[in-house]
Amino acid sequence: MALLELKNITKRFGGLTAVDNLNLTVEKGQIYGIIGPNGAGKTTAFNCITGIHPPEEGEVLWYGGKETKPKEITGLPPHKVAAMGIVRTFQTIRLFSEMSIAENIMSGRHFRGRQKWWHGISHTPFSLKDEKKNWLKVKETLEFFNITELAAEPVGSLAYGIQRKVEMARALASEPELLILDEPAAGLNDSETMELVDTIYSIRDKGITILLIEHNMDLVMTLTDYITVINFGKQIAEGLPDKIQSDPMVIEAYLGSEDDDDE
Amino acid sequence: MKILNKKIGFSIFIMAILLYPAIADSKWLAIGSTFLIFSVVGLSEDIILGKGGMFNMGHALFFGMGAYAAAILNKSFGLPILYSIPFAILIPALFGIVLAGPIIHLRGDYLLVSTIGLNIVFIQMLENDLFGLTGGPNGIFGLDTPTLFGFELSSPAAIYYMGVIVLLITFYIMANLDRSKPGRALHYLRLDDLAAQSIGINTRGYKIFAFGLGAGLAGLAGVLFAIQYSAVSPEAFNFMQSVLFFSIVLVGGSSLPGILMGTFVMFILPEIFRDFATWRYFIFGFAMILAMVLRPEGIFPARFGKIPNWISKKGIKDGAS
Repeated sequence: MALLELKNITKRFGGLTAVDNLNLTVEKGQIYGIIGPNGAGKTTAFNCITGIHPPEEGEVLWYGGKETKPKEITGLPPHKVAAMGIVRTFQTIRLFSEMSIAENIMSGRHFRGRQKWWHGISHTPFSLKDEKKNWLKVKETLEFFNITELAAEPVGSLAYGIQRKVEMARALASEPELLILDEPAAGLNDSETMELVDTIYSIRDKGITILLIEHNMDLVMTLTDYITVINFGKQIAEGLPDKIQSDPMVIEAYLGSEDDDDE
Repeated sequence: MKILNKKIGFSIFIMAILLYPAIADSKWLAIGSTFLIFSVVGLSEDIILGKGGMFNMGHALFFGMGAYAAAILNKSFGLPILYSIPFAILIPALFGIVLAGPIIHLRGDYLLVSTIGLNIVFIQMLENDLFGLTGGPNGIFGLDTPTLFGFELSSPAAIYYMGVIVLLITFYIMANLDRSKPGRALHYLRLDDLAAQSIGINTRGYKIFAFGLGAGLAGLAGVLFAIQYSAVSPEAFNFMQSVLFFSIVLVGGSSLPGILMGTFVMFILPEIFRDFATWRYFIFGFAMILAMVLRPEGIFPARFGKIPNWISKKGIKDGAS
């Protein structure tokens, strides 16, 4: 069953076509990977989905929520897309750096919270209950990521690996249906990457669908159920990891060039 | 420890402002009232500038709008001045919302220049006696003294205690903001607007909320200002005042002690050291520069980590202000 469908998405920046007629369908419960060389348009595709850069052409269809009919979410502002249950992390960490881990995660509870603007002026018994409920969810999320001890630490002063965790925790606290991860393993060491794999699996076990961009090939091949390969904004291949690994187009465009660079 | 110190400090401060009239004569009471009124304005600017991170350099506009709303309703429409309070809150709040709408998406310096423009337009309207209501450059004077249940609240102590009540209401709102969804949303959008949007926060809506709330509180302080002087005039709300409100938040820091200290330094010390004439501004100018160089986040910066202590065993590292 499809959860998210991109139909003929095209995004241009001036003369440059960053995403060119992209089609993909993410099924419910999948871990879906998007790969491609640097500058291929992967992050732009994410930005088209999440409303940061609305596409010029094509449509984004969302099958989530309680309704059975798909909703077109093309061009919705980011906060509305998030409220639909599509929440993302960023390639470069974007946390609220002066605030503590717990407060960062609490931001994920924002649109789940039932408080209105006037509760900013004065709480009511109802809003205090809502506040408590959301903090409980933060506590639960802290425990899931095993960072309860650090709850009151300002995130800006923490190790990179932990900041990555907090970013995922923030997204997860919002109880998304689709979690979009933009290079979740970037900058992580081997043991942190192993931990990430476990985390992603256990997020999927909660019934959350995952769409991710990743450069670490081993990680993508072990983790994902289905892969789309993009180059120059165009889809050049899609399929199961095994099939992608042996696709000559992919090897030429992506895997081959990585060997040449040889890190 | 720290949180305990803060609670003790706060209690002492409340006791001090409650007991102050016992030792102050009428001149010092007037200075005390000024402190209370401008603290409220400073705190209301903190909601917009300190929490929301929006460079509002026209805050005197909302302060003045509240004062003028009370004065006009009293003088031209004969409404008792205390009854004008709801209008003096709602009119600036609505203007804040309407004016903020089209400029709120501007960033930093652009927003700053726009708000300066709004303040200048406001002063021009007042000076040109708009609709024959604002009294031109001289303003409006001879306002009625407030009466409550037949008592005249005209003594300096009565005015002072009205200021205390309004300041306590403001404290309540500030504390409430710190522990509620809308208040946190302002911190989130200040620290990273895009991340805030991507996690489902309608940043534009909350920015407008901040402007409305800040403007409403400033308007409330404006009524007290009108009551204290039983007059209003344009120069009390000009661009220079806005600069001072802006500086309070920047120099003091976005926290209760920061704003209170900032207000004291910017508005009260110049009153106390009147004898030193223009020298005081010379010294204050340098003090401001020094403060910004040494403590760019303000003297008492905002503190975070305001989380329920049952979340983590280590609990609150640093409590609420």
